[in-house]
Amino acid sequence: MELNRKHSKRWFVRPDGAKKVTGQLKYLTDLTFPNMLYGRILRSGIPHAKIMSINTEKALRLCGVRAVLTYKDIPGLNGFGLIFPDQPVFCKDIVRFEGDAIAAVAADTDEIAAAAIKLIDVEYQPLTVMDSPEVALSNESISLHPSGNVLHRAEYKTIEDDEINQVFFSCHNVIEETYHTPRQMHAYMETEGGVVVPEKDGSITVYAATQHGFKDRMQLSRILNMDEKNIRVVSSPIGGSFGGKDELNVQPYASLLALTTNRPVKIHQKRNDSVIAGLKRHPMKITMKTGVDEKGKILAHVVRIVADTGAYATLGPAVLDFAVEHATGPYIIPNVNVEGVSVYTNNGISGEFRGFGGNQITFALESQLDRLAESLNISQYDIRLLNLRKTNDLGPLGQRIVPTNGAFDVLEQINHSSILNKPFSQTENRKLKGSGLAITMHGGGLGYGRPDPSGGRLALTKEGKIEIAFGFEEVGQGLIGSIEIMMIEELGCSKDDISIVIGDTGLVPPSGSSTASRSTNMAWQGIRTMKNPWLRELLSNASIVTEEKVENLKMGPGGIWSIDDDVTVPIITYKKLAQSLINLPTITSQYDFPTTPDPIVGGHYLYSFGAIAVEVEVDKLTGKVKVTDVEHTIAAGPVVNPMGFLGQIEGGGIMALGFTIMEDSLMDSGKYVTRNFDSYLIPTIKDIPSHTKVNAIETLVEGDHFGPRGVGEIGTVAVAPAIIAAIHDATGYWVNKLPISPEEILNALTKQNKGLFNQQSKELI
Amino acid sequence: MSIENLSSQTKNTTTILLNCFINDNEIVLEVPATYRLVDILRKKLDLTGTKISCEVGRCGACSVLMNGNLVNSCLLMAYQIQGSSINTIEYMSKESMNPIQQAFLEEGALQCGYCTPGMVMALKSLLSTNPSPSLEEIEIALSGNLCRCTGYNGIIRAVSRYIENSQSS
Repeated sequence: MELNRKHSKRWFVRPDGAKKVTGQLKYLTDLTFPNMLYGRILRSGIPHAKIMSINTEKALRLCGVRAVLTYKDIPGLNGFGLIFPDQPVFCKDIVRFEGDAIAAVAADTDEIAAAAIKLIDVEYQPLTVMDSPEVALSNESISLHPSGNVLHRAEYKTIEDDEINQVFFSCHNVIEETYHTPRQMHAYMETEGGVVVPEKDGSITVYAATQHGFKDRMQLSRILNMDEKNIRVVSSPIGGSFGGKDELNVQPYASLLALTTNRPVKIHQKRNDSVIAGLKRHPMKITMKTGVDEKGKILAHVVRIVADTGAYATLGPAVLDFAVEHATGPYIIPNVNVEGVSVYTNNGISGEFRGFGGNQITFALESQLDRLAESLNISQYDIRLLNLRKTNDLGPLGQRIVPTNGAFDVLEQINHSSILNKPFSQTENRKLKGSGLAITMHGGGLGYGRPDPSGGRLALTKEGKIEIAFGFEEVGQGLIGSIEIMMIEELGCSKDDISIVIGDTGLVPPSGSSTASRSTNMAWQGIRTMKNPWLRELLSNASIVTEEKVENLKMGPGGIWSIDDDVTVPIITYKKLAQSLINLPTITSQYDFPTTPDPIVGGHYLYSFGAIAVEVEVDKLTGKVKVTDVEHTIAAGPVVNPMGFLGQIEGGGIMALGFTIMEDSLMDSGKYVTRNFDSYLIPTIKDIPSHTKVNAIETLVEGDHFGPRGVGEIGTVAVAPAIIAAIHDATGYWVNKLPISPEEILNALTKQNKGLFNQQSKELI
Repeated sequence: MSIENLSSQTKNTTTILLNCFINDNEIVLEVPATYRLVDILRKKLDLTGTKISCEVGRCGACSVLMNGNLVNSCLLMAYQIQGSSINTIEYMSKESMNPIQQAFLEEGALQCGYCTPGMVMALKSLLSTNPSPSLEEIEIALSGNLCRCTGYNGIIRAVSRYIENSQSS
């Protein structure tokens, strides 16, 4: 089904839309409170150094400054991090990256706080900067952390190193290549920020964007040495995140300042601070050696991954695990040998980012397949079809997964794309045109062995609203709209009857993080789980109040209705029912994201599938690549919210286009070179293809009761290799390094005498 | 000196008595001459519909209309807006929702929504002078507004819908 307004029966205006288009919506960075102070954070600005002294006296003397805090002022643990709390709130003696925090200031105005930051004197003794994994792993390097400079190693091997070499000898063709991927920036439009308000009872309320309010609360409790129940985290709405706001950012500083001054403190990071302190996508160097028989059946696959995780761990280990897991993608390969290492460096921190390591590895894997296909003179489609996993095959780590035909479904459909089947007329002198495809298989949820719980609450409120509460966040993905649609369809009530409560630890049950393409599925499971027992309670209460037989009652718009078809009003409204009851029907539930029964840590159970076809135009004069047409086919189960689904795939696709052809957070000796949108370029409306089509395949294998899979990531994963294939189709040149360099393309065209610039005459031809 | 530093000066700051119209309301404020329009809107007047993101005039999140022309409010200082008429996103739906905003809603041309006010202002500027723009004209008009969520497809559909709606009505 093509997803668009015309074909979608559930095309509803999103509930949070009106406030967004009118500017009325208060993001957490828009909030102000009486008596509020402004906070700023002093970042080291240098990538590696010993701190000799920190002097805050001058800053404290500045008129209007209310507090200046350093490591000495932390009551609890001086560290944060979702899994390993190895990132200091404030550095004490060592600086490990440019974005390390040294001190924080609260002042009457933002301007005074900014001025005070400049008055803090810090004396550093610079240390050698380890600006790449290779340098950090060399013998001369010093250790950034007690465990050394290796954060994590991961592997998956069905055959040992020496034995797989024997298999390569028997292969008809072998391709070995090394691929490089960039340090992509999330580039959410709303930078990190919020307000922390000290309450009269000694507790605090943290209004700041995060993807996991409860994890923030737990970490803040450790830092502040404060009971979790005294910390309330309000965490939605969010002006974009894409994985970048899952870790704490301004929350510890604003909390410490608020508690010290006993006044609300707002911090809203400038873009420069956001760039240097914020997470990025892991740059990876991936070497792949892949061998096939004469028909194209893959026999052996060796993969080596080196990931630059930067100064602190954050989710680096899990990202590497994900890349290792997806190194074989949707293909069944008999001999696999994958090793990865994630390395600490003095570069900016790499962490969670939409696709979670899948984008990097899929670029390499799909490119390998295309090179092999070329070497055998077979098509992109044929080599994939030959190697695709079948319905009941095991998952990529040898684990049992939910049976799926997704891989075949998306490959078949994309192969019929008009993009791949139109003849190109290479008549325009300056442009070369080409097309290509790529596919992917992407795990949802956190994977085996990682706690992945969720919970929800369904209740009738005193006001007569049917309230659904989850701990998820609205980061822009349209989750509130999705929950509304599921509630209306499952319960039969109307939009006006529903109250959706999310993103506030004071009001909702823990639901886990809004990450890993999990929220839609978790909300769906929650509503399904709670619906029947809650409905029984509601209807039996209604039966008592109305004196109607319970079997004659049902939920409907506005209230409880008789099951008779000819009635036009409810027997009792929800409001009246609520007012008549002492105990309001309420149910809470706890459940987990479905996991594989096989004890393989990180192994996923539910996968979604994506296929992409693209058309590109390569400019022979400038070497620039323009993507002119895109078609996505996504197999992720039933589409809950077509508008949200379409937005996620289209938006994710363009984000991945940026990853492929323009985006790179350049670093020089551990310092960011590209510090704002004037040098870090993300796609504008002028950079997108003139046409995009999104198809959804909703069918699941019979008996699959796991429902809709999330689509937050799948639209981003396979875009890069599809573009690379299209460039190859246009030029005959294979790109191994992202983002694609126009100079590299020009050089290649010149070598092939395809360019417009003649090397000998140095003139345009 | 960065733009931000200009408004960060705390000593020896020349203040001016700013007199201008914001959303048809006459405003009189004593502010530093170099205080930015975006700060006047957000910090002094609590008009937070105007968003702040790059602060170097690149993303368009802070777009407003000054005397009917599209401007980045992060690049304009108090002394430059003296006597002018500024309209922000809040003005667009003063009485009822503007048809541009309606089209955004119907087509789902937003996700996180943080860029949306700036997008709406940029389109208001375009469509006021050119009610039936070509795709290329739309692209040029919106090329100063970054959106990280939608991929822009929805926004283009919203403009098409607006044009369709306005032609049929």
